[in-house]
Amino acid sequence: MSVYITSTGAFLPGPPVDNDEMEEILGLVNGKKSRLKRRILKANGIVTRHYAIDKDHNTLFSASDMAVKAAERCLEQSTLSTSQVKMLSCATTQGDMVIPGFGSMVQADLGIPEVELHTTHGVCTCSSMAIKAAYNNIRVGDQPNALVVVSELASRLFKNTHYEAAGGSAAVNFNAEFLRWMLSDGAGSLLLENQPRGQCLRIDWIRSFSHADSYPVCMGIGATTDPDDTRTWQDFPTYGEAEAHGALLIRQDIRLLETIVKIGVDGTLKLIEDGLLDTDKLDHLLCHYSSHHFKSRIYELLDMAGARVDEEKWYSNLYTRGNTGAASILIMLDEFLSTDRARPGDTIICMVPESGRFNVAYIHLTVVEEGNE
Amino acid sequence: MSESVALDRPDVLTDLGQETLRRLIRVWFDFERRLARVPIIRRLDLGQFNLEDYQNLLLNMRPQVVEGARWIARCASSFDRDHADVRSVIIGHAQDEHRDYEVLEADYVTSGGDLQTLQMQPRNPGSEALHCFLMYRAGQPNPVDLLGAMWIIEGLGEKMANDWAMRMEELIDGSRDFTRFLRYHGDNDDSHMDKLYGLVDRVCTDQNAADRIVRTAKVVARLYAMQLEEIEHV
Repeated sequence: MSVYITSTGAFLPGPPVDNDEMEEILGLVNGKKSRLKRRILKANGIVTRHYAIDKDHNTLFSASDMAVKAAERCLEQSTLSTSQVKMLSCATTQGDMVIPGFGSMVQADLGIPEVELHTTHGVCTCSSMAIKAAYNNIRVGDQPNALVVVSELASRLFKNTHYEAAGGSAAVNFNAEFLRWMLSDGAGSLLLENQPRGQCLRIDWIRSFSHADSYPVCMGIGATTDPDDTRTWQDFPTYGEAEAHGALLIRQDIRLLETIVKIGVDGTLKLIEDGLLDTDKLDHLLCHYSSHHFKSRIYELLDMAGARVDEEKWYSNLYTRGNTGAASILIMLDEFLSTDRARPGDTIICMVPESGRFNVAYIHLTVVEEGNE
Repeated sequence: MSESVALDRPDVLTDLGQETLRRLIRVWFDFERRLARVPIIRRLDLGQFNLEDYQNLLLNMRPQVVEGARWIARCASSFDRDHADVRSVIIGHAQDEHRDYEVLEADYVTSGGDLQTLQMQPRNPGSEALHCFLMYRAGQPNPVDLLGAMWIIEGLGEKMANDWAMRMEELIDGSRDFTRFLRYHGDNDDSHMDKLYGLVDRVCTDQNAADRIVRTAKVVARLYAMQLEEIEHV
C-alpha cells in the first residue's frame, strides 16, 4: 500500500530574532558578552531564528504548545478533523516532562480520543523515526492515517543561569558554548494517509544508517565537564550537584563533528549502490545540515564520488528559521512546498545527518496528483 | 609504450573509473569507522591518550614503515613495459618515502624512547599479515590492484595524520617536537593522493581490474586496523 503526505504544518514561536538580539534573550554569562558567538554564527550562516522564551526567561510556548500549534496548522489544511486522526507519532529531543512520553502530552493537548500513540526520542533523526513508524503502520494496513508531530525547545538549555550554575566562564569552553549559537525553537507536523489528496507527496522509502558502534558521543546532555568522570546526571546525590558538575549542559564535541559529513555522504553512496537513489534523476535535495560549512563539504564529497547534486536543487531554510533539531526537516518541507517549486513527477530526498552519536536518515518522496498518479 | 597519462586529479573520469572511485570512498569511510573502534584510536578520540600510547604506536608502526618502501619498490618493478607510465609514478612514490622511517626513529628517541628497543621490535601479528599480503601482491605481474592499497595507506596520511598529530600535541606536553613523522605524511600525502586519482582511469580498464582494486583496498584496510588493534596485545 502506498503512503502519502497529504498536509504539512509548522510553528515558529514569536518574531524572528537576529544575531544581535540572541544574547539579550539567552542572557550574558557572568555579565560578559560571548567571545565565541560571532565566530560560530559566521560558520553556521544562520541570520534569524525563533525562541519560545523571552528576555526574562519565561517560557511563552512549551514544547507541547508548539507541537499542538504545528499539528493544528497541518490539520486545518487537510480534510481530516482532529478526532479522525488514528495514529499520533511524536518526536522530540527533550519534551517538557521527563516522563511520560512526549506523545502523551501532545495527545492530551490536542484532544484526540483513542489514538494509537508512538513517541521517539533522540536528536535530529528521531523525527525520521517517527515518520517511518507512521509510514509503516499505514503501509501494513493497521491505520488509514497518522499525524506526525515534532517539536524542539532548545532555548531553555541556553539560559545564562545554567552556565553560571555549572561554574561560569571556567566551565564554558567551546564545546559547551557551541550549541548556544546553533539551536533554536520550533515545531513541524505532517499528515500521512493511505490515499493521495490533491497535489501531495508519495513516500517512496525511508532508510537510516546509525554508526553509534564506531564513534563516541558527539552531542549530548548528561555527562560531566570532566572527561574522566564516567558518572551521568542521575548518579549524583542531588540534581544540584549534577548541575554544578556540568552534567546538565548540552555539549558538542567539535573535533568529532566533521564525521557528520562522512556519514551523510557514505549513506548517500550506499543508497546509490543499493539501487534506491539516482542523484542524476533527483529534482530536490532538502538537507538538514546544521551549518553552512557542512553543505559545501557534503557537496564536494558527493561531487568527487560522481554523485553531485547541482546547487540549484538544494533547498534549506536553516538561515532564516534556524536549526530546530529534529523539527527542522518538517519545517523545511513545509516551507519548501509553499514555494511552489515542486512539480508533479518531481523527486525529493530529505537527508538528515545527526551528530548525537552519528545517525543519518533519508526520506525519498515523489510529487503526485490525486487521480493522475 | 602506451601514452602517458595526466597525473593530476582528472576532471572527468570514465564511468568505470568514477564507479571505482565511489566504491573506494565507501571503503575509506568503513575504514575510518573501523579505526575509530580500535582501542588506541578511541583513547585518542576521547582525550585519554598518553605518552606511553604514543611510543607504543611508533614502536608498532615502524616495522611496517620500514617495509613500506620495499613493497612499493617491488610493486613498481612488477609493471611491464606497457605500464611504464604507471611504473614511473610508483617509482616516484617509493623514492619519496623510502627513508621516512628515519624520521619516525628520530621522533621515538626525542619522545624519550630507546632506539635499540625500537629497532629490535618485531612486526606485530597485524603488521606481519599486512606486510606479507602487500609483498605477495606486489610480486604479481602488473599489480594494478595495489592502487587500492595506496588508497588506504596514503589516505591515512592525507586525511588522518595531521588530525592525529594535532590531537596528540594537545594531550602530551612538548610532543610537537616528536610528531614530525605524522606531520610529514599529513603535509605530503595529498600530493601522493592526487597522483593516485590520476591513475584511477589508467588502471580501471575493465570490471575485473576495478573489483580487484576495491578488494585489495578492503583487505589492506582490515589488516591495517589489525596492526593497530594488536598494539594492545604486545
